[in-house]
Amino acid sequence: MDGAMRQAMTSGVFGNYQTPPQFLDEVFCQAGKVNPEYEALYSQFLKYSKDDYRQLNEHAKTSFFNQGITFSVYTDKAKGVERIFPFDLFPRIIQADEWAQLEKGIIQRCVALNLFIQDIYTHKHILRDKVVPADLIFSSKNYLKAMLDIKPVAGIYNHISGTDLIKHSDGKYYVLEDNIRCPSGISYVLTNRVAMKRALLETFRKFKVSTVQEYPQELLATMQSVAPQGVDAPNCVVLTPGVYNSAYFEHAYLALTMGVSLVEGRDLYVEKNFVYMKTINGPKKVDVVYRRIDDAFLDPMAFNPDSVLGVPGLMGAYREGNVSLVNAPGTGFADDKAVYTYVPDIIKYYLGEEPILNNVQTYRCEKDDDFKYVLENMQNLVVKPVDESGGYGILIGSKATKEQLAEFKQLITQNRRKYIAQPIMNLSMHATYIEGEDRFEPRHVDLRTFTLLGKDRQFVLKGGLSRVALKKGSLIVNSSQGGGSKDTWVIRDDSAV
Amino acid sequence: MKTEYEVKYYTHNTYEDPVKEAFFSFQITPCQDDTQRVLSVEFQHTLPAQEFHHQNPFGFDVTSLYTAQPFREFRFEMTALVEKTRPFLPTGTPLTVAEEQRALCAYDFFIDHHLYLGTGHYTHIEDGLRRRLLFREEKQPVYDYLVQLNRFIHQMLEFDPEPTHVHTTVSEVIQLGRGVCQDYTHLFIGIARLNKIPCRYASGYLNQGLNLTGTAVMHAWAEAFVPGLGWQGFDPTNNLLADLNFIKAAHGADYGDCSPLRGVLKTTGGHKTAYGVTIHPTPMVGAAQQ
Repeated sequence: MDGAMRQAMTSGVFGNYQTPPQFLDEVFCQAGKVNPEYEALYSQFLKYSKDDYRQLNEHAKTSFFNQGITFSVYTDKAKGVERIFPFDLFPRIIQADEWAQLEKGIIQRCVALNLFIQDIYTHKHILRDKVVPADLIFSSKNYLKAMLDIKPVAGIYNHISGTDLIKHSDGKYYVLEDNIRCPSGISYVLTNRVAMKRALLETFRKFKVSTVQEYPQELLATMQSVAPQGVDAPNCVVLTPGVYNSAYFEHAYLALTMGVSLVEGRDLYVEKNFVYMKTINGPKKVDVVYRRIDDAFLDPMAFNPDSVLGVPGLMGAYREGNVSLVNAPGTGFADDKAVYTYVPDIIKYYLGEEPILNNVQTYRCEKDDDFKYVLENMQNLVVKPVDESGGYGILIGSKATKEQLAEFKQLITQNRRKYIAQPIMNLSMHATYIEGEDRFEPRHVDLRTFTLLGKDRQFVLKGGLSRVALKKGSLIVNSSQGGGSKDTWVIRDDSAV
Repeated sequence: MKTEYEVKYYTHNTYEDPVKEAFFSFQITPCQDDTQRVLSVEFQHTLPAQEFHHQNPFGFDVTSLYTAQPFREFRFEMTALVEKTRPFLPTGTPLTVAEEQRALCAYDFFIDHHLYLGTGHYTHIEDGLRRRLLFREEKQPVYDYLVQLNRFIHQMLEFDPEPTHVHTTVSEVIQLGRGVCQDYTHLFIGIARLNKIPCRYASGYLNQGLNLTGTAVMHAWAEAFVPGLGWQGFDPTNNLLADLNFIKAAHGADYGDCSPLRGVLKTTGGHKTAYGVTIHPTPMVGAAQQ
């Protein structure tokens, strides 16, 4: 090690980096010792002085504001304030062989969940065989009778899945959640990559990083593959609740990059069981709808009658097979966190295979033994409501005050079906640039992956959204809860080609 | 024995301000089942649009209309000719009480009838109100109990259209002690389900006899599943069994699945609605002697 490098290690952006003793750091195996896969990258970053790096970081931030990539937080006091999703220029690297295994496991999981949804809305074999308790499904508010006996094209319900993974201190990946209600985050993956290349093109080029830019075309191809029978050149659209939705940027971005229309409910109507889009050239038939509107608001005729976001008659057109909805309504019972505990059994039941990816040990408060355990050990557990998303309503036992613990005990007792608990997982940590400190510190990360299932096609994006809990010691990575993100580099295995 | 009916449903709506865009869905057409056959059905309305049909999740017809042409008045009329066969009204049960019990407790039975066993907004009965209700005795056959329940609810409530509305829950109805056919039916359903008997909401038309004058509206009653007998209709509003005079349009878990008319309109002002139904038995050639 030459003198300059030694100096950079102490005074540069990596100066005073404290490798966490009780967690897995993906970059450093011990204090000052870098894992081999990060060596090349680390030495690039060592060259930056604090000032240089601050400038680089500002440059990347500007790129996001300029691209208009913002979101809003629903619980914000200043409603409607647009924020950028903090982006960290130091990427996360996943090796080709490690990724290949993940990809297999994710596909296995998504395919099994799709068969599960199909079975539940038709024959219910898995319930009759007592693999999954019927009560658990029928009591889910996301189980929709409006979906009974509907046959979506090619039998696909969860066209788009966002499987959340974490890396535990044992070095293994675990599935934290299955998100199959039109998960968001993909626009950050794509724009993070753009910002990364703008800021650090030379560094980027030194690595064999898998591309992510094909995602919009893959999504479009997936939508086209499930067009109603007999439609040759399907008209696909993205249906958004509108500009006030926190993910509106993503809806617009996907429509733009796929080259399809972005529509709101009021732009569509149903006549004679076909869906039409109002255009200046008159009505245009719509064949496939990527809908980013929640089930309850999709069609005031079938669901919430007060919805002004949806399209009256849409479910009728869907039942008649004249339009495809991506994802199908009513998938939410299957990514319910209480059903999560059964996913390994679901995989074995439908595919006759052992699950490739692990589940996190989960306690269902509905079960008497589990309920008792949760009440007694709450300070060591993460308690989550089963049907919320976005990190809302979560209690982390080790961080909670006595009052909060007491309050949650009461909440759980009142509605046991609604809560599950998991051991506090040691999410791996990753070197993350902390503004204000002007240096890198370890922060917890997870990984949201993106999977597409279409007719005779399966696709997992080689990359994903590495979400970072920016608050020191925090485990909650959701963008709505003060999380940030990193570009995720899946290294190409060129030897396999 | 068979009877032929002419069933008419009509509605007339006027709007203070023009309606710029509208979507209406009707669930009013008599259905086809073991006891009724639809011989013809006709729709007439004043919108510049053609009606279209799809099935609802329970397999019943939904008739819809869409228009983006402004209007201030909307008339709609459905006329159906229905041939009704007298339903089989049981006098006893083919199964023993123990056999009935075994059938009701079977897991597959629960899965097959889950939509009619759970309770929701309309049919959930608060714990504190359950003491006042009628429960099945251990040795009582299911059918006997349901007949008794039908009478019990008929006596428990007083018919009164004033205090309730389309969103009234069973718990409210118990406290009020009054309501309309929708409320009687939800109460029957709620109690039957507490007894683990699958029970569903049926909507349709009741022939009240040729002498009836004035306006009638659509009717609602309950259908309960009796092991060994299948679905049987009970009308707690009138303490009747669903016989030849009941012409069914649809069934579902509760009113929410059967509401005769739903609409989404773009308009600003208020509106006036009138609606009614008529049911006329028509003489059937060759059937009179049967």
